[in-house]
Amino acid sequence: MKRDKKDEEAGGNIYANLDKTSVIQETRAFNETPINIPKCRGVLTKLLYLRLQEESIGRAEATRAFFAITKLWQTKDVTIRCLIYLAIKELSTASDDVIIATQSLMKDMTGREDLYRARAIRALCKIIDAGMLQTIERYMKQAIVDRNGSVSSAALVSSNHMMRQSAEIVRRWANEVQEAVSSDNQMVQYHALGLLYKIRSNDRLAVNKLVQKFSKSGLRSPYAVCYLIRIATKLLEEDDQADSALFQFIDTCLRHKSEMVVYEAASAIVSLPNTTPKELAPAISVLQLFCSSPKPSVRFAAVRTLNKVASKHPQSVTSCNVDLEKLITDPNRSIATLAITTLLKTGAESSVERLMKQISGFVSEISDEFKIVVVEAIRSLIARYPRKHTVMMPFLTNMLRNDGGFDYKKAIVETVIAIVEENPDARVAGLAQLCEFIEDCEHPSLATRVLHLLGREAPKTPNPQSYIRFVYNRVILECTQVRAAAVTALAKFGAQVAELRPSIEVLLRRCLLDSDDEVRDRATFYLYMLQQSSQIINNFILDQLQVSPIGLEKSLGAYVEEKKFDKPFDMRVVPIAAQPITHTEKPKPKLADPEDLKPKAPKKPEHSERLGALPQLAQLGPLFHSSSNIPLNDSVSEYTVQMIKHTFTNHIVLQFDCRNTVEDQRLVEVAVVLEEQGDEPEWQITDRIDIDALPYGETRSAYLVLEYPDSGAVVGQFECSLKFKVKDVDPKTGEPESDDTYDDQYVLEEVDIGVSDSVQPLVRQHFNAGWEKLEGAAEIDQTFALSSVSTLEEAIKKVSELLGVAACERSDLVPEGKSNHQALLAGVFRGGHEVLVKAKAAIDPTDGTINMNIVIRSDDDGVADVLGSALN
Amino acid sequence: MLAMLNRVLDWFRSLFWKEEMELTLVGLQNSGKTTFVNVIASGQFTEDMIPTVGFNMRKITKGNVTIKLWDIGGQPRFRSMWERYCRGVNAIVFMVDAADEDKLEASRNELMQLLDKPQLDGIPVLVLGNKKDLPGSLDELQLIERMNLSAIQNREICCYSISCKEKENIDITLQWLIQHSKSQR
Repeated sequence: MKRDKKDEEAGGNIYANLDKTSVIQETRAFNETPINIPKCRGVLTKLLYLRLQEESIGRAEATRAFFAITKLWQTKDVTIRCLIYLAIKELSTASDDVIIATQSLMKDMTGREDLYRARAIRALCKIIDAGMLQTIERYMKQAIVDRNGSVSSAALVSSNHMMRQSAEIVRRWANEVQEAVSSDNQMVQYHALGLLYKIRSNDRLAVNKLVQKFSKSGLRSPYAVCYLIRIATKLLEEDDQADSALFQFIDTCLRHKSEMVVYEAASAIVSLPNTTPKELAPAISVLQLFCSSPKPSVRFAAVRTLNKVASKHPQSVTSCNVDLEKLITDPNRSIATLAITTLLKTGAESSVERLMKQISGFVSEISDEFKIVVVEAIRSLIARYPRKHTVMMPFLTNMLRNDGGFDYKKAIVETVIAIVEENPDARVAGLAQLCEFIEDCEHPSLATRVLHLLGREAPKTPNPQSYIRFVYNRVILECTQVRAAAVTALAKFGAQVAELRPSIEVLLRRCLLDSDDEVRDRATFYLYMLQQSSQIINNFILDQLQVSPIGLEKSLGAYVEEKKFDKPFDMRVVPIAAQPITHTEKPKPKLADPEDLKPKAPKKPEHSERLGALPQLAQLGPLFHSSSNIPLNDSVSEYTVQMIKHTFTNHIVLQFDCRNTVEDQRLVEVAVVLEEQGDEPEWQITDRIDIDALPYGETRSAYLVLEYPDSGAVVGQFECSLKFKVKDVDPKTGEPESDDTYDDQYVLEEVDIGVSDSVQPLVRQHFNAGWEKLEGAAEIDQTFALSSVSTLEEAIKKVSELLGVAACERSDLVPEGKSNHQALLAGVFRGGHEVLVKAKAAIDPTDGTINMNIVIRSDDDGVADVLGSALN
Repeated sequence: MLAMLNRVLDWFRSLFWKEEMELTLVGLQNSGKTTFVNVIASGQFTEDMIPTVGFNMRKITKGNVTIKLWDIGGQPRFRSMWERYCRGVNAIVFMVDAADEDKLEASRNELMQLLDKPQLDGIPVLVLGNKKDLPGSLDELQLIERMNLSAIQNREICCYSISCKEKENIDITLQWLIQHSKSQR
């Protein structure tokens, strides 16, 4: 009684003050004879608690505890035994020699006690290694088809986890898994289907068959049907000319008797790319029905999905507007928020004000997460109705003033920044708001971003001096990093507005007395620079260093290693980052569609490291540019090949990622054969790395190194094929059936090396300064009529892709309704030559053709010529 | 008559003084450890056994003595773990395949290495030469010599030649073990 009271005073959690060392000491109790059961239960629970708190336990200590735990197998106490399983799982990675528990777990897994069997399987699969897995293979197969659902499920789920290390062995259990799919138990059926899919996932044809088979046979478990829908969706997403039967299957699931399946089908359909309104309609009407469900979870799911669709297909969702209106007053605030934001996305311009009023009524009651949803809705709304910023700005101001977490504030600031960048009319209002925000901002990272924006945008406003007070206040009041950012922002004012320069210099001089050396350094640097010519001001204050930090570090390291200090360090050998360093956090603020989840291409540092690891490629110098993945054949064929082009200063390296999807074949001596087209071959292959062996289901890379021809040519076209020897293997074991091989060849699509491979796109922040600098340098001026494209935006995109340049100052966005536009494009040619392009495009209102005038400037004559020739 | 009375007394004693003992069974793989456990537990001999991966924990009751038996796998990867299960037991049983001359040296080395561990000082050791039934198997004296058992001075050591298959000398082995349960020590 007394003890209970004490525990309660401690706040309820009796484990709150556990000491790791003493708990480890207490595990000695497991070695005692006879075993004190209540005590051991307590110690095991404490140990588990520590592990779940992510307390790190040293290897020796963990191993000692683990072996002590195995001693507990002697008791028949059920609680202890179950705790043993949990503890083994928790310690399986922390302790050495965990394999010692195998025999005992095997015994429990095949024993008579059902209570132990499933748990033992799960623990066993955690400690087993690939070598030992064969020993228990027989028991696993039995367990997969066990009559007891929990045993079967445990075996299936554990096998699924083991696919990661021992896929080959688990694949051999496919027959048993298939049998389990026809189980009566819903959970077993679901887990079995999941594993079967994983086993076959390398083989697209087999996956297709799997979906076809089970979509007809009618799975009993709704979980399994949901999973099947997901597999079908994935197939549809990956394949352009997918089987229409797949879509039909998902469509029929809309009429399934289980609510869960119906929802899954609807959400799958709306998530698919390239669906027509007609295909969407049944899914939307199902979701509409769900909107009036008595279950809050169903209403929530429906409205959340509708919210997502609304960004892509606002028209299709308008039919649900009446139901969504009803949900505005839903007692569940999350549902109400989603309903309103969906309406904001779909509704007419006229209803915006009413909805905003409604939402501001309860915005203080919803959680940060949903406030972010609201902010994002506003963001896309402003993208559609730029004129509405007069309504939105005060609303955002209000939201910014309220309390909220970092993510919430970040979303608002990002939205305001996007508005300022894209909507010139709203610039002054937005900047004023941000100025007010940084006056009382507790997040230094947001304050520095706003200061950066002020430095860039505010000098272009009619009244730049009004912002200086806000910026300078930061220098006086804030922490170091904000002060430093403020100094930089001040310098940018001085650089861009000549009248303000004397006053800025006065302010910067005061910054020289700052207590922090970074702030002082920046002030000293900018003060000196501001007194130089406008050319230098442009180069060092407005334009930023555009190199990848990792590349810079490597190049500097190499320079120091070389010890040839009589030669100055050449900035041009440093690999260039496509985005300025300051932009790393968020690539491009785009108003519309903030949730653009495109798969990201592997980053350059990764390529650079991978190539650097190959000795043949190491001496080619720093990596200049890598293309994205280019498929060289259908992704459903026997062997799939994708190519990445890596450009170096004088060489181009073609990386071929080959994948073997034929189960009973192993390819050896795989080589890529290139044959140049045209009468006079110019390109030389100077080095090659072939693939020695390519087993089933694996991706390996072959490389070809080509030297850029002396003639200065940068383009080439090649016939490409794959040459290899095939060894037949037994698909079950993966072992070759004999040593016999036969030659084979496989024709791939053509390989093109284009101008864009020699150019690294570069986003310049002050294009015109650079343009003027190249006045008088090499210039090419050409005009074309384009017939293959229909919009200005498309035309500009095409030109930038062709030349491998990036659009600066957001000039790739063509304002709606304009019949002419000028894009500012920039890049760097191999060897560090600057390339700037002005592309003026105009659309002829009479026949819709597009005329384009392109002016290319570069600091090297040859480069300008090469780019010019690419346009023909 | 007296014998009868003694037996009744023994039975009463067993009710009140239940004894427990703990044994660890080690030795190279395929020497017959798990088979031995099965024979003393249930009297059953099975010809083909699968290797023990880890350990078996068995409790066997003989008269008023409950024997806790740790039967540890003999494959090389488990040998370093033997010691952890030998600490604090009443006796260590070391199984040797008496018919496999090639492995005798490895067997001797493993035994010596195990007994060198300071934490196992003073724990009695029983060396069993199994597979007595096979032709050419070594008897006790040969085993003592070949295993160099006379060199072990600091503890009680004993050696029997047994056959799990023919159930020979299993009874004297059990007797020795029960004598070494706690109260007798």
